[in-house]
Amino acid sequence: MTSVTELLAELLLMPFIAFVVGLAMVLMYRKIAARLQRRIGPPLLQPIYDIVKLYGKETQISHGLIHDIGLVMAVGGYVAAEIFLPVPGMDGIADKGGIITLSYVLMVPSLGLALGVGQCANPNGSIGISRALTAMLAYDIPFIIVVFGVATHYQSTSLVGMIEYQQIHQWGIFEMPLLAVAGLFALQGMMGKQPFEIYVAPAEIATGPMVEMSGKYMGGLFVMQTFQLYTAGVLYTSLFLGGGANWFEFLVKIFIVVAIPMSVALVFPRYRTEDMVRIMWKWPVMVALIGIAFVL
Amino acid sequence: MDNIVLLVVLPLLAAFLMPVVARSSEVVARTLGLSVLFISIGIILNVWSQSGQIDSQAVSIVIGGFLPPLGINFYVDQISLFFALAVPVMVLLFWPWHRATSIREYSLMMLLTASASGLILSGDLFNIYVFYELLGIASYSLVAIQGRVSAVAASFRYLLMGSVGSVMMLLGIAIIYTQTGTLNLAHLSLLAPEKLNNMLGLASFALILTGMGVKAELFPVNSWVPEVYGSVSSNLAALMAGLLSKLAVIVIVRLLILLFPQPEALQLMGMLGILGVLTGELVAWRSRDFVRMLSFSSIGQLGLIFLAFSIPGEMGMMAGIAIALHHMLVKPALFMLATGWRGAVENLSGVARRSPFVVLLFIVLILSLLGIPPLPGFWAKYLLMVGLSSQDGFIYTLGMIIVPLAMVIEMAYLFKIVMIMYRKDNDEPAVNNSNIVDDSNIVDDSNIKVVQKHSKWGLAIAASVAAMLIAIVLQLQPASDKLLSLANQLSDRNYYISTVFPQIHTVRMQSIK
Amino acid sequence: MSVLDDLLLFTALASVAIIVLRRFAFISKFSVVVYVLATVLLIKMSALGYGGEAVYSSFTVNVLGQVLQWRFDALSWFFALITLVVALFTALFMSGAWGDKYRKEHSKEAYGLLQVALILNVLSMLVLLASGDLLSLFIGWELVSWASFMMMALNPDKVARKAAIKYIVYAMAGAMAILMAIAMTYNMTGSLDYVQVMQGMAQLNNSQIAVLVSLYAIGFGIKMGVIPFHLWQATAYAETPGAGAVFMGAISARMGLYALILVIVQIIGLTRVAAIEIPYTFLDMQNALAWVGALTTIIPTYIALKQNDARYLLAWHGVGQGGYMLLGVMIADSIGTAGGIMHVFNYATYQAALFMTVTAVIYRTGTSNFSKLGGLVTQMPLTFMVMVVSIIGLAGIPPMNGFVSKWLIYRALLLDGQPLLFVAAVIGTLGTILSVYKLVHNTFLGQLRLEHQDVREAPLSMLIPMLGLAIIIFATGVMPGVVLDWVAAAQIAIGIAPVEHNLGGIELVQGGLNMIWVTGVMFYGFAVGAIIFYFLGGKSKHIHQYDNYAGGHFLTSKVRYHYSNHFYAGLMHLIGGWYRNIFIKLEYALVSLVSFMSQLSENFYRSSQPAMLVAAIVMLALWYIMSADGSAPVLVQGLQGGMSK
Repeated sequence: MTSVTELLAELLLMPFIAFVVGLAMVLMYRKIAARLQRRIGPPLLQPIYDIVKLYGKETQISHGLIHDIGLVMAVGGYVAAEIFLPVPGMDGIADKGGIITLSYVLMVPSLGLALGVGQCANPNGSIGISRALTAMLAYDIPFIIVVFGVATHYQSTSLVGMIEYQQIHQWGIFEMPLLAVAGLFALQGMMGKQPFEIYVAPAEIATGPMVEMSGKYMGGLFVMQTFQLYTAGVLYTSLFLGGGANWFEFLVKIFIVVAIPMSVALVFPRYRTEDMVRIMWKWPVMVALIGIAFVL
Repeated sequence: MDNIVLLVVLPLLAAFLMPVVARSSEVVARTLGLSVLFISIGIILNVWSQSGQIDSQAVSIVIGGFLPPLGINFYVDQISLFFALAVPVMVLLFWPWHRATSIREYSLMMLLTASASGLILSGDLFNIYVFYELLGIASYSLVAIQGRVSAVAASFRYLLMGSVGSVMMLLGIAIIYTQTGTLNLAHLSLLAPEKLNNMLGLASFALILTGMGVKAELFPVNSWVPEVYGSVSSNLAALMAGLLSKLAVIVIVRLLILLFPQPEALQLMGMLGILGVLTGELVAWRSRDFVRMLSFSSIGQLGLIFLAFSIPGEMGMMAGIAIALHHMLVKPALFMLATGWRGAVENLSGVARRSPFVVLLFIVLILSLLGIPPLPGFWAKYLLMVGLSSQDGFIYTLGMIIVPLAMVIEMAYLFKIVMIMYRKDNDEPAVNNSNIVDDSNIVDDSNIKVVQKHSKWGLAIAASVAAMLIAIVLQLQPASDKLLSLANQLSDRNYYISTVFPQIHTVRMQSIK
Repeated sequence: MSVLDDLLLFTALASVAIIVLRRFAFISKFSVVVYVLATVLLIKMSALGYGGEAVYSSFTVNVLGQVLQWRFDALSWFFALITLVVALFTALFMSGAWGDKYRKEHSKEAYGLLQVALILNVLSMLVLLASGDLLSLFIGWELVSWASFMMMALNPDKVARKAAIKYIVYAMAGAMAILMAIAMTYNMTGSLDYVQVMQGMAQLNNSQIAVLVSLYAIGFGIKMGVIPFHLWQATAYAETPGAGAVFMGAISARMGLYALILVIVQIIGLTRVAAIEIPYTFLDMQNALAWVGALTTIIPTYIALKQNDARYLLAWHGVGQGGYMLLGVMIADSIGTAGGIMHVFNYATYQAALFMTVTAVIYRTGTSNFSKLGGLVTQMPLTFMVMVVSIIGLAGIPPMNGFVSKWLIYRALLLDGQPLLFVAAVIGTLGTILSVYKLVHNTFLGQLRLEHQDVREAPLSMLIPMLGLAIIIFATGVMPGVVLDWVAAAQIAIGIAPVEHNLGGIELVQGGLNMIWVTGVMFYGFAVGAIIFYFLGGKSKHIHQYDNYAGGHFLTSKVRYHYSNHFYAGLMHLIGGWYRNIFIKLEYALVSLVSFMSQLSENFYRSSQPAMLVAAIVMLALWYIMSADGSAPVLVQGLQGGMSK
């Protein structure tokens, strides 16, 4: 049990670190994209500029209270989720929740966003949400199977316990390679990257959830994205790569984890939502189930 | 005690005298008939109050001074006395008051009373056959006398069925006689384990079952039921479905207990019972006519009774008696309600708004019929199910499956009617407010709306039956004790024998033969 | 007189009073008082909820050699508490504006009958919960069935009538299965008293147990609406008049679960059930029942996803949520059963709240059809809030109470090593999230229809119970320990190790749950989010609800652009083919079979020469009997003997 001051510090630090690391990840994504497209890419502080720009915009249209609250829920849900994710030296309240709680806390931002977009009364926004929720249905099923397999393997739902186990024994990826593969696949969907990102794709912006998001609403979503990338990386690292004994090792791992889907993303076109469901329910689910058979 | 005989003699006399007396004064003739009924009721109540121990003590009444097995006797125990009481009471309740037709119908009613009383009281096979035939004649004629063409046709069908039945029964009795040389029930009962416990005995049982079964609505000799009930007045239908069928059942059961010890006999009866339940309820489910539905439901219930009696042991006997008595209460009440609701059930739409109380009454009655706890019908069903499950054997397992199934089907069609009654989407009610209480005016064409006012008398009967049902619920414990003693007395062969032959021992009987 | 006597007698007398007084205007206030008093009487027995001794009724009936008795133990108390609390909130809900409108639209009598149906339901449920032997259980069971039927039948619409009839046919079939099982139990164990039956069960062999368990499970399962008996429930509950649906949806079907726990878990014992292998599968009976639960979470939930009417959507979820309870109970360890039993409470609170919100919407707009609603959030913000709180509970997302019970079930499945069941449960949850969003979006979000511009917030008399339930949903989500105390007591009563818990949730070495912390952190997160949103960046401009565009065009309020029809088009494109209506076809096939049999039987009764037919049959039968074992000569001898005489 951490002392009160320590906990308070963690409450502040953990989301902040997540934000900073997330920004770096956004930058990395853009850099990778640029390099693959033979561009130089944005400067170091570009993500921050973007956020400042979006927050500073003059036209900021609010469609009502729920529109605002939706954004608050979207960002706040991730802020809360970060505190469930143990990082080197900080466990937050990971021992009070565990992986199942975390998976469900991670649905809060989606729900918040969905409510916010719904209030906008733009049919295109609603269509986008219906696609986004369908996509969630698609990637959550393989993800949950993976979580089950991992938790069964470690005989624990506590992320702290899982990391300890891996640091004593071996990384999860070596003990459960199939689940790790399936998890990576699901991660691609969770991060909202190609080929599974049609609901937030830049080309589809007019028919997606973002359609009514102007100014700091878009900025909020940008912040949310940084958290999203960070969460995905840390979660995968904790489940399969033994977390991190120190910050350097930890950061290396999460950046590598995030880099893989990003690199994959950029060489693929997009799937339609129902095709995404189809592929998600077929391959990663199959692999994960076989993986579970080995675990049990 | 000996004036029990009057129960048969008086109505019989009245039946023959009434047409004669009517020539001079119709009023006297009618009064004669009614007063005979009241006298009968008085006699029975007197017997009941005098010999307080009739509850525990059966009596054999020798007629004509010759002792059985040579002479004939009446056997009076709880159940036969109960039915002997039920006969005049129910005849009185369902007396064709409003029929201005003729004295003939009254005369036939008296014949019915006499033969029904005789049937239940008789202690030998020959008299049973005679009274059975008399009962048949009375009921064929009563059906035919209803005046409608359909009634005549139905009566003819009934007559055919009944005649075939009585031939069968006669053949059965003949076989028994050839095997044992006696027709006295107690005597037969003594000889039965030795003489009738074989295939031949079984054959004679099958024949008697088929014969008596015609009245008892036993499958497959019950195809007259829907037509007859559908074409006669509700009063007569109530009497036939409520009383006569039960009489026949009780006689069959008595013969079964006394004469036919073989398990195959029980199984045969059980099987026919199951078929009756199944076909009755299935067809009722299809029928779109209220009375027809009730008739098929009656077939189904009688099937249940046969099935219950086919369970060996105390449980089956209790279940059988319970269902029989329950049906005897409920079905006439339902037929009374049917007086106002003849014709297609679709016509009943919206009835509940016009007569909510009657519909409520109907619901209580059918809930009990379906066996919904805590109404009495439930306890009967419960006994039946416990009895069925206590036996192994194909028939009982099958019954175990069929009975619940039949109940579900019965529920489905009965509540379909209730739902129609509570429907609100109907136009002006087709109530004919002229003084119609007589259902002879009813047109058979079911397309015409024939929703009428109920007669006060019929409603009173239905209401008092519902009240009785509730009273039984409140007095469950005494009711169940009474049922147990009834069942014990009915199922005890040795008790019957020792009642009829108080001093004579088995050895002596052998020598008489 | 024990407190149980007081409670039952009081409720019975109150029923009589309500039946008599049903037409008076004060009946609505009167019934609220009745439920308050009944709840007080129940709270007098609250020692039961903390491990107290069972309370017996001093009233017994001797009939047919059976002693009928009534008693309350912790499990009954828990269910009774839910029943009475839901009834109280329902009565409050219908006591004010809703009741007045209902009176006006239908009649005083109709409203009175609704009150009568409510009290009769409550009474019959208490009688069922208090049953002390299998026979009194059956009596209570039937009373509950018919009381529910009465409630459903109060709606005069054709659809509702049909649904009610369908319900009662199903219910009767279930009751008959139970009656069969009870009769068999009596013959196998020689008694119907719970304790003696429990002892008697030990002597039975596996096949006997298998028959009993299947019959009981079918009987109780029909009431719960588990697969494949799920067809009746949704329509029946959805079509029950407004406030009635609140009560029915929240608790009525749970009586099936109560009886199932009582008979299959407590009396027969899950170890016996688990010992029965089902041939040709890898399942034992307990697993099979767990799978029934899992399928019940999936199939009805995805049927709910397709509904286009809020009431139907909720009612289908009601069926689906029952699956979680069954699943939880069938895991059979202390955490799983705790989850299953606790879910009853949680479900009752949010389902009641959801039905209330939908009823409030109907009260204001006259419809619950998604195609005719939308954008009501600006008009009915509090109702919207209650709905959001409840759907978060229904979807099982923290911090509402639905999450805790689902967490327990997931946790138990994990510990038990049941990957497929776990996945099934999760598929159900995801489907729930999708469809509850559809519910809230299509009703409260999106475009406001022109005709709803003047709609106001639901009246106070309806808001108070709704908000009260929302508070309960949140409070028991943050402090599940309050409910878990009762659940643990119930677990002791049914012979399962009680779940170890504290106020915030479960302490487990391998990962527990503390909702106080979880909620705290979530609200901290929201606070941070709010700070980021409200204190940074420029000020946002609120625009009118109708100020909207699509594809660059201004959308006037006359253009109906609310995206509500075929909401998950993409998903349906994919899984639409899986909706095969198999069960509807199965049901239809059964009815057709009955119809066919019926026709066959009718042909017999229509035959023109029945007498000849019968005579022929009997003669044939006789010939068979005589020749069967070569005893034909006996007849001849007998006849000859007779003649020679």
